[in-house]
Amino acid sequence: MKHARILTTALAIGLAPIAAEAQSMSPMRGEVNSFSDAFAVRIFPANPYDRKIRVEIHVYDQDFQPVDARISPKVFQLASQASRPVLVVVPFDGAPERKVRICTESIPFPNQQTQIRAQICGKFFGRRKS
Amino acid sequence: MTWFRAALGAAMLFACLDQPVLATTQNVIFNGTITPTCTLVIATNGTMTVSPDLQSLSSHNSGGSAGTVTLTTTGGVSLSVDPVTTTTVPSADVTSTTWTPTYSAAGTHSIVETGSATSIGTPGADLVSVNLAGTKGGSNRFASGNYQATVTLRCE
Repeated sequence: MKHARILTTALAIGLAPIAAEAQSMSPMRGEVNSFSDAFAVRIFPANPYDRKIRVEIHVYDQDFQPVDARISPKVFQLASQASRPVLVVVPFDGAPERKVRICTESIPFPNQQTQIRAQICGKFFGRRKS
Repeated sequence: MTWFRAALGAAMLFACLDQPVLATTQNVIFNGTITPTCTLVIATNGTMTVSPDLQSLSSHNSGGSAGTVTLTTTGGVSLSVDPVTTTTVPSADVTSTTWTPTYSAAGTHSIVETGSATSIGTPGADLVSVNLAGTKGGSNRFASGNYQATVTLRCE
């Protein structure tokens, strides 16, 4: 089981781009084969602003219902022009495959009358191998 | 004997200089893959003002302004806004409000104002204008105080 998790993580790392600077979130598409009861995706949210922003990571299903995924870290501060890896582990919940959206959300200018929340969502497909 | 060796060496060197230099070439291959990518940079938030009949609080009203967002994409993505779920209203406002977020885009792509999702197939950069309108029906009116709403602009 431990080896399977390591392999799953390794597959997810394979999705990681070589350079993730100047992107709001990368990658935005991915397919993962997993030998365990969950699949892992490593994403790279980035802050294109010239100021620090608070970033939240959320996982939704195809109907935009929240998915109980393990996100590390889920909420964090991101420095200007910076990017950092976030590991998302999505359970299959007994299904042989699962499609999810992993979204990077931020409100760069809070406490204003009409706020805009920027949401960048990637679509990921996990397939369970036996 | 020394003279003979020197002459032989010079003759061989001269013979070698006469030969063409053999050049070899090898191609160096570079590969690059770009997956669909989207960057949203919020430039300004919007401002809503109330209509003279107090039944509309909108960025379209006189004195109001749309929020602006810079979109940069490789294409192969979709742009949309979510229904407004997060609002703050004054305590004096006890009647319901219908909130309608819309957006339009100008630049590489031209998107007329809509509340529906738009597929963007080609790469480019755009300035997206985000508008929000709150309306009250019947005899209901907006109250004095601070209103705040959050519009979610999604690129996926």
